[in-house]
Formats: sequence, C-alpha cells, structure tokens
Amino acid sequence: MGTPGDNFNIVIAGVGGQGNVLACQMIGMTAVEEGWQVSAADTFGVSQRGGAVMSHLRLSRDKPCGPLIPAGQADIAVGLEPLETVRVLRTFGGYHTRVLMNSRPNYPLAVLCGEAEYPPLDELRQAIREHCREVVEVPADQLARQGGSWVTQNTVMTGALAGTGWMPFAIETYERVIKSLFSGRVHQLNLAAFRVGVRATSRKTGAA
Amino acid sequence: METMRVKPGPQELQAQVMAAGQCTACGMCAGLCPYIRFAGDRVRIVYSCGLEDGNCYRSCPRTPHDLQDLDVQVFGAPREDHLLGTHRDIYYARAARAVRPAAAQYGGVTTALINFAFEQGLIDGALLVGGSLEQPLPRLATTPAGVNNCAGSKYLAVPSLANMLTARRTGLTRPAVVGRPCQVTAVRRLQGLENNHQAAPGPAPNLVIGLFCFWALEAAFSAFLTSRTRSRVTKMDITPAEVIVDTTGGPLSLSLDEVRPFIKPACHTCFDPTAELADVAVGSTEAIPGWNTLVVRSARGEELVQEARTARVLEIKPYGAERLPLLREAAWRKKKRVLEALAGRPEPYLRLPVDYQLAIAGEEVMRDEYYARSS
Amino acid sequence: MNTMRVVLDAPGQVALLTGNEAVARGALEAGVNYAAAYPGSPTAEVLECIAAGAEMLGVYVEWSVNEKVAMEGAAAASFAGLRSLTVMKCDGLNVALDFLTSLSMAGTRGGMVIIVGDDPSAHSSAKEEDSRYLGRVAHIPVWEPADSREAKEMVKAAFDLSEDIRQPVMIRMVTRVCHASTNAVLGEFPRREVNACLGPEDKFITWIEGHREQEDKLRRAAHRAEKSPFNTYAGPESPETLVIAAGPGSYYAEEAVAQLGLQTSVGVLKLGTTWPLPEKLLRRYLRPALKVIFVEEVEPFIEDNVMALAAQHLDEIGRTSFYGKKSGHVAGINGVGLGELTPSQIMAALANVCGPDPAHERPAPPGWPELAGRDLAFCPGCPHRASFWAIRAALELDGRQGIVLGDIGCYTLGKGRTGYYLLQTMHAMGSGVGIASGLGQLWRFGFSQPAVAVVGDSTFYHAVVPALINARYNQANFVCIILDNQTTAMTGHQPHPGTGIDPNGNPLTAIPLEAVVSGLDIPVTTVDPYQVDEAIQAVYQAVQGPGVKVIIMRRACALIAAKTSAAVRVYVDQSRCRGDACGCARFCSRVFACPANIWDKAQGKARIDEAICNRCGVCASLCPVGAIVVEQYQEKVG
Ligand SMILES: Cc1cc2nc3c(=O)[nH]c(=O)nc-3n(C[C@H](O)[C@H](O)[C@H](O)COP(=O)(O)OP(=O)(O)OC[C@H]3O[C@@H](n4cnc5c(N)ncnc54)[C@H](O)[C@@H]3O)c2cc1C
Ligand code: SF4
Ligand code: SF4
Repeated sequence: MGTPGDNFNIVIAGVGGQGNVLACQMIGMTAVEEGWQVSAADTFGVSQRGGAVMSHLRLSRDKPCGPLIPAGQADIAVGLEPLETVRVLRTFGGYHTRVLMNSRPNYPLAVLCGEAEYPPLDELRQAIREHCREVVEVPADQLARQGGSWVTQNTVMTGALAGTGWMPFAIETYERVIKSLFSGRVHQLNLAAFRVGVRATSRKTGAA
Repeated sequence: METMRVKPGPQELQAQVMAAGQCTACGMCAGLCPYIRFAGDRVRIVYSCGLEDGNCYRSCPRTPHDLQDLDVQVFGAPREDHLLGTHRDIYYARAARAVRPAAAQYGGVTTALINFAFEQGLIDGALLVGGSLEQPLPRLATTPAGVNNCAGSKYLAVPSLANMLTARRTGLTRPAVVGRPCQVTAVRRLQGLENNHQAAPGPAPNLVIGLFCFWALEAAFSAFLTSRTRSRVTKMDITPAEVIVDTTGGPLSLSLDEVRPFIKPACHTCFDPTAELADVAVGSTEAIPGWNTLVVRSARGEELVQEARTARVLEIKPYGAERLPLLREAAWRKKKRVLEALAGRPEPYLRLPVDYQLAIAGEEVMRDEYYARSS
Repeated sequence: MNTMRVVLDAPGQVALLTGNEAVARGALEAGVNYAAAYPGSPTAEVLECIAAGAEMLGVYVEWSVNEKVAMEGAAAASFAGLRSLTVMKCDGLNVALDFLTSLSMAGTRGGMVIIVGDDPSAHSSAKEEDSRYLGRVAHIPVWEPADSREAKEMVKAAFDLSEDIRQPVMIRMVTRVCHASTNAVLGEFPRREVNACLGPEDKFITWIEGHREQEDKLRRAAHRAEKSPFNTYAGPESPETLVIAAGPGSYYAEEAVAQLGLQTSVGVLKLGTTWPLPEKLLRRYLRPALKVIFVEEVEPFIEDNVMALAAQHLDEIGRTSFYGKKSGHVAGINGVGLGELTPSQIMAALANVCGPDPAHERPAPPGWPELAGRDLAFCPGCPHRASFWAIRAALELDGRQGIVLGDIGCYTLGKGRTGYYLLQTMHAMGSGVGIASGLGQLWRFGFSQPAVAVVGDSTFYHAVVPALINARYNQANFVCIILDNQTTAMTGHQPHPGTGIDPNGNPLTAIPLEAVVSGLDIPVTTVDPYQVDEAIQAVYQAVQGPGVKVIIMRRACALIAAKTSAAVRVYVDQSRCRGDACGCARFCSRVFACPANIWDKAQGKARIDEAICNRCGVCASLCPVGAIVVEQYQEKVG
C-alpha cells in the first residue's frame, strides 16, 4: 500500500449530523502535528440539517492550498454513507481515487416518502469499483456500537482511514490529537472507536 | 358486502360527508387515522393519505350503509319494532343512591353501568365526554373517578370516538363507548369491518351504551350561551317545551326557537333517536325527575342490567304504559321527517329495505299509533 | 469549533484554525476590549471563540439583541478609546447599516473592526448578498482575506488602520474562509492597561460636514493600501494576462495557472484591500497586461471598480480586454455571477481566455447510478416538525386556506418537505410578523384567510417586537407563533435574552417571552408542541376571532435535549405495526418526515433508525395503532 505524494486531497462525504466536520478536524490536526500544510473546508449550517455534506481536506508538505478540491482530483474519498460516497465521487473521484466507505445507508426523505429509490448497495459498490482505484468498506455503525456508542461512526471511519495505510501519518499522532480534542468519558469513547476502526481496515488491507 | 360505485376512501368521505354538512362529529374517522383531526365539533381531513379505500369511509355513520344489515350484525335478525328498534325490555331505572354521581343528568344509569362494567372486568376503559358544558371534550376514562367526572349531558356534538386512537395506542383491548346514536352506528360499522374488511383497525368496543338523541348542537352554541349569561353553566336539560340552563347565577330558560339554529345540520337527517344499535340505550323519562328510560337491546346489555340490578347498583321499575305511545310517536315523527328528507336525495346514506320504509311511511303504522295512543 | 486553541497562550506554535477562529485569535492578539455580535452563519463562531478568552484577557463579550445594537455598543467602546469588534452576517449588516452610514460620518476613536460574513452559494443563508457594496456606501475600508492565516493578520492590521483614520474597518469574510481551517502561527497576547473615558472634546455627531472627512479618510486608506502586505503579486514582471483575484479565488487562480502551465505569461494580483483600491499598484500591472481576468465572489465589485479605473487612465493603460462576470467568462457554481467559485471553474475560465487546453476537461464518466437528492430536514426529534404538523392540521381544520408566513431560522425549512411546504412568505428577520400585520388589515378588501406568522425565539427579540407593537396598536388580525426552542439553534445554539445566560454560560436575568408579549397587551398562550393535539387546538382557537394573538410553542431544540434527556429508547414494535395493511399509508416514514422513521423493506413494517433518533416520542403519539414504543432504557445510548 503506497502512501500518496507530497500533495494530496481527501474528500469526506456524509449526511448532515454524521460528524464529517470532526473527522476532517482529526485528520487535519494530525497532518499539522506531522508538519504538513493543511486546508480543511467543511459545509456547515443549514446543510447540517439532514442535507448532503462534505469536507475537503488538502494536504501539502510545503505550500498552502485553496479550500476546495478541483473536480476529479480527490486522491482519497472517505464516505460516511454509501449514497453520499457515490455523490462526491461523481464530481471529485477519478480512476486514481481510493475509497473508504461506511456501508450503512442513511435514507433520504424522498426515498422514505417513496418518491425516489435508494440504489441497491451492490450497484453503488459496483459503480465505485468501475470508476475508482479501490474501495474498502467498513460497517461503521456496528463497529461504533462495539466501541460503545452509536454516535462515534465518524471516529471509527477516521480510525479506519488511518488503518488502511493510505495515509503517511503515525497512529500515535492521531491518538495524540484525539486526546487534545476530548476529555474524560468522551475521550475514552472516541479513542475506543478510533482503535476499532484502525483494526477493521488494517486486517483487511494488511497495512499499518 | 355492499357493492361500491365510488371509491370508499377519504376523498369521498370529504365530499359526501364533511363538505356536504353531513358529518355528525362522531369522531370515528379521527379515531382511526392520524390524518383526520378535530377541533371543537369540526372534524376534517388534514392530510391526504392518498388511499382510495379506507376504514374512515367504511365506518362513518353517514356513508352509505344498510340498516337491516346492521340489525342482523348486532342482533342476529332484522328488527320487528320499527320505531324503537330491536329491544328486549324497556324500564324506568336509576342508579342506587350510593353510586349515583351528583352531576348525573337524570338517574345516573349510564355512569353506574359503566362503573359496574369496570368492576365486573367487562371493560378496561370508557370513551366518554367530559369538560365543561360550554367546552366539552372527549375523555378516555379508566377509573371510577374518571367516569364520574364525565357525568351529565353535554348537548354539543363532541367527536369523542376520536379517542379510539388513544385507546388503541395505550393498549386497551375492551373499551366501552357511551355515545349518541350516530356514534353507536359508527362503532357498529367498525365492528362490522372486523370480519369483512382486510384492514381491520384493531380491538373494537366491548360495551356500547347509547344515549337518546333528537339532535346535538354546534360548537357555536357556546358563544351564544356566553352572550346570554356571564355565569358558569352547571347543567342543561332539554324538555319538549324549552331548554333549561342552570348556571351559578341561577336558571335560564331558552326557547326551542332560540336553540334550533344551532342544531347540527346532520341531525336533520338522523333516523335513529334511541340508539337502536346499542347494547342498552338510556334517555330521559320526561315524567319522573331523577329517573331514566332504559332500553335493553342486546343479550350483553340484558345480562349487564340484570347483574347490576342484583348487585343493587340499579333500581328498576316497569316503564309507564302511558308514556310508551308518546315515546313511540316522538320516534316516529322524527323518522318520518327524515325519511321524507332522504327520499329527495340522489344518494341517501341510509339504505332501508322496503318493509323498513313501509313501516314508517305506511298508513297502518299511523293507524296503530293512533289506536295505541287513544286506548 | 475548538475554542481551546484560539486562546492557547503559546506564541510561535502552529495551529489549525478556521477563519472564524483566526479572526477571534487576531482580535485577541490585537488586544480587543469589547466584542458584540448577533449570531449569523458563516461568522457565528467568532464571538464564541473570543468569549473563551474573555476572562483571561479581560474582554467584554456580548450576544446582542440584534446587529444594530451590537454595532452601536462596539462604537461606544471605540468612542471611549477602547478596541472593539462587532461580527455579523451580510443580512445583519443590512440591519446595522443605518447606524453604520452615520457612524462613519461622525468617525470613531479606538480601533473598531466590523467582521461581515458573506455566504456565496448561500450554504447556510437565504441569499448570497455581497456586502462589499455596503462598505462602500458607508465610506469605510473593506478588506478580504483568502484564508485563516491572512484573516488573523488582517484583523490586527485593521485595528491599526481604524485608529489611524478614525473610521471602522470592515473585513469581509466568505464561507470558504470562515469554515475552512488552515495552518496559522499563534502570536502573543498583549498586556496593556486600558482606561475607558470620553473627554469633553470627544464628540461624535453625524452632520453633513462629516462627508468631507469621510472622503479624506478614504484617500488616506487608499494611500496605505498601496503598501499593504495583503496585496501580493505572483507572476512575470510584465504579464500578458493579469488575474485580479480576492478571497479564496486567488488560490484557485494560482493553482489553475500552475496546472495549465501558464506561469510565464499569466500573473496573479491578489487583492486584500478591495475598497478603496490600491490604484497605483493596479495601474502598474494593468499597463503591460493585454487581458485581465477577474476572480471574486459574488458580484463584479472589483471588476466594476477596476474597469472604471482603467477607463479613467485609458491613455496610460491602453487597450485591454476584460474577462469576468460582465463578459460571461468567469462563472460561479450556479452560473455567471451566481454562487461560489470553484477551482474547476476558474481553471476553465483561464483555459478559455488563454487558449483552450483540453487537459483540464474531464467529462464525467458514464455509468454512475441515479442518486436520490437529499432534502434538508428538521433534525430527528425537532420540535418544529411537531409544531408545523400542528399548524398544518389546525389550518386544514379551519378550512379557510390559512396562510403561514415564515422567518429566519431553522424553521425556515418549513418551506420544504419537513415543514409540509407550509410557508408562503420568507424574507428577513421579523418580516413575517410585519407582513402578517399588513395582511391582518386586508379584511376591508375582502381578505378572509387566517394568517399565521412563525418566528423563532431569538428572532422574536431581534426584530419581532416592533412589528407586534404595530399590529396590536393598529388592530391587525393574525396569530404569531413563537417557536421557542430556547436557543439560537440554526447558528449553533447561542443564547438570547430569553435564555438567561451570557456567551460563557454565566447567569443573567432572562426576559421571558410571555412577559414581553403580555406587556404589549397581547393575549398569549403557551403549549408544548410535542403534545400535538393540544397544539392543534391552541392554533385552531387562536385563528378564530379578531385581533393579534401570540402562541408560544415551547420545547428545547432536539440537539440540546438529546444530550441531556433521560435514557429512553423509541422503537417500533413490529408485531403491532400493520405495515401496508394499516390505513395510515406509512404515516411515520412517509408523511411525518422524521429522518429516523424509516421503512423496513424486508419486514414490510416501519422501523426506527435508533442511531439518529433523538427520542422525542412524537411519532409514538401519532401512530394510529400504537406500534411505536417509548421505553425507559437502562444503559444510556451515546
Ligand atoms: C346531545 C345529546 C342529546 C340528547 N337528547 C336527548 C333527548 O332528546 N331525549 C332524551 O331522553 N335524552 C337525550 N339525551 C340523553 C340524556 O341527556 C342523558 O344523557 C341520558 O338520559 C343519560 O342520563 P344519565 O343520568 O344516565 O347520565 P349520566 O350518568 O350523567 O351520564 C352521562 C353520560 O353521557 C356522556 N355524555 C355526555 N355528553 C355527551 C355527548 N355530547 N356525547 C356523547 N356522550 C355524552 C357522558 O360521558 C356520561 O357518560 C341526549 C344526550 C345528548 C348527549
Ligand atoms: S360522521 Fe363521524 S366518521 Fe363520518 S366524517 Fe363525521 S366524524 Fe368522521
Ligand atoms: S341527532 Fe343523530 S346525528 Fe345528530 S347527534 Fe344525535 S345521533 Fe348524531
């Protein structure tokens, strides 16, 4: 598993409320700790109310970058939700893109109301395989539960990303960042979630 | 099952009943469905569910149905008495002093029977009407105190069957209903669905006590009352001559002419003054203060009344022979008027077999009645 | 938001700061004494970050009732010789503009900086107004940072400029700066004594003579802009093509030049001081350029002003072609002059102007599946959903085609699916009530529909009170419903005068909504929207009969409640759910529109997504068969 070069882009996609902002922060702060230049841009505000949200994370060893990733130039896509993973890949993905995806769907209201279809997971999976370099799936909801809380799926996914070996940062640096972000029981929960995530993918990809 | 020319769903309920001023505010449809709500005596569909077939339409007392079918469903046979409906006995009755609530309308038979049925384990809740006389509200009682709190008649139409929702949600399996005749019809139609319709809505009432009813009033009557008296209304009674309103500031007499404009339009086409499909029906005696007229109709009703009598919950005496023709004539007059009114309509909600119609319209009835009265 | 790193006393350390955090840090490093704001996205977090350092650094921090009052308070501090900061979104600047145009005529004393958040693409707003025009109307300098690092330094420099020219300085932030984090080096916190006072000669009176001073001060600002470190140029000495860029667009321009390999012919002039313009600097690079491309969000503000400058100096600058919004070459994500800029669009614009380069064109590969869109929705458990359901039901019951007027806040989503498409108007803070006050007079012209204006609790204090006074005094007929979720939810749960706390959570004496409304002699009823039937009755009763009436629908925001509520579990007892055999037609998942009510295809029954359910239990009270169970739960979830 090679790590990317001196400049690379990560897009994190999810549904408002899933915590993509925090996932983006954890990765971004880890990069800063390791001496990288970071730009991390999130969608906030009204989209947090159930809309599609994404974060653009741009990492460079030497120069600052603008907040948004150009179309087709995400090196890594982290999807907190399958449909949203595909949605960002359509714009920001390419044949070089590596994809890490939480396989738990979150149904849009239009689907719940019977006005639209949620594509079968297999179809989404297949489409990603066809258009991107590779896809690793993680059942983040179940793992989060194992870790002790429903709401830490974002931290599980951060751990899973760290576990893939796609990233040039040490696991200890992430954990230091997590410690600086939380305290007490919340820290315990997030650390546990992070580690569950790391284990989930390092087993799969044989890295980290 | 009846053949349907129209789609038996909420659109038709809206068109044929609500928009046509035919809704009696029984509340049944609101008791089945989260899309139908009420305020005061207004019952309306607040969201279109999109279904073309629904229990709301099928259990409404004002969508087309056949009265004989209901007679057969409830009593196992068509009626023989076309003026008072199927019944086994008719009495004067009152609740024993110990169980008669102070606020009872007349003899407190209704309240006493409900409480007795609770004690016997026959029912686990009761859909009643509480609140004030000016602002009555549906109530779901599960204790004697709750039942006693609802004593006394409120003459406004209250969609109290809306509480079917609450009853079902809270897991009641055998509630009782006290209701106006239209409400009794709604309950019976619902019970009919249990066996016929694919989507039966769950446990239906186990005991149905009907109230005599010649009309109910629209919610606007409250505003009229408040314009006539500043005092709190404690009781209201309707006699053939006037409407007597007791208030904390003393009694007030309203003429029937003053009250009539507030009668719910649907009541002008109501064929059932004595809750003909109830287990028992309770009304005034119009003769003996503090007593009720009690019509025992079904086997369940009979059993309950007998047990209540044995348990000294009810005092019972024979119905006054001189009153019966008067009661029958009052019922007949109303039925005849309604039959004429419905005859003019293209799609009357009530389907009556020919013998049911003739029994009201036919001359021999009038002759019988005349004879009975003058003898 | 991480207030910790904003107040970290560790000079020299590199931190990842959002633009908002950087502004706060910059203000603290500049020794700000007084900070006041009304929360608005995208700049809502600035004040909270300053508040975190308030105690340590002796700053007074206030959530003000509205932007105008916030700015007036900040001006007061400036008059007394202190450094002050006020923060708002573009809409807020509109509210404060009346004061600002006066303030800049009378001038200031201590450094005063105005932070304005613009929201290109309206990510969390209703409009994408370009506030730079208002700065110009007010005759004050307007600066624009491109990222956090620059935002922090700009704030510090803005205080200096403000004190120098004795005018407020406005910093215009866009969403992609406010909410993007970049590395920033932390500086020192000053230790300086302040003593607030106004001498007898310190007078600040708006009068026509002030206009001359305004123009003089602007000239001084323009002069300083020539040497400003925030205006930078990268590219050949004599560029053939000059890109003039501001804000994050300057990054996109630089990246596009590099990616297209145009470094030898194209130069990028990044402007930080967008008003007044550094005219000499601009002329220096306009002279050699044959083509000029403008990269800015949202309106052609720099474009118009530079083109006017070029026209004025036509002899010197010569024939130049201008590409931007006017020419249609530079588009935002929603079209020319519409929406925020993206790197791909700037790349396309450059390629287009400097000769097409197919390399950047990347047609979307075919074969992606159709994707369902995602409606914005009230959060699971949001009391607004229950309130809107009740309002809808009551108006349907009433049957006179009642009209619901919207306002600004989470409940603006009432215009969409989760609010059952109820809203028929939505404009500015408090406007729904003003409009209702007008509709409430139209009975004279045959208008017979009931009008219901919904406002938030924070909005109520901000702008509703005068409209209610107007309505009550002039005897309008309508119902104002205050959706009181006891916080300013949309922007991230800031307190307001009804909450009884300051920005740091210290107690203040609340001003209850009921007290204000009763004080206006308007009848007021309070209901809990979770008690849906009671709420329906309250609204139905209120729309009957004349006069203005207020209903308070009070229930804490579900996001707050979920953190504090007792451990309960809400789930569907599938043995009781009748699935599609129930006449409800999937009420919970299809109609009620709570994202946590989902449909279990495999079982053909309803289900609750317990990972997102906020456990309000309202759906349980609406299910016609009681299949939804609210249960006390032993182990706390989440
Ligand atoms: C609208 C209306 C019209 C009536 N018209 C006549 C009439 O013309 N002639 C006649 O003889 N009797 C009429 N009655 C019946 C009569 O008023 C008494 O209710 C009945 O005799 C029972 O008396 P009680 O002493 O047993 O009642 P109580 O023991 O006091 O019990 C009264 C019961 O009636 C229920 N109730 C009260 N108001 C309503 C309502 N609006 N809808 C449904 N249930 C209600 C209460 O829940 C309570 O359980 C009418 C009743 C109503 C509600
Ligand atoms: S009569 Fe009863 S069931 Fe029919 S519409 Fe009215 S309330 Fe509903
Ligand atoms: S008169 Fe008939 S329709 Fe009217 S309330 Fe009584 S029972 Fe119902």
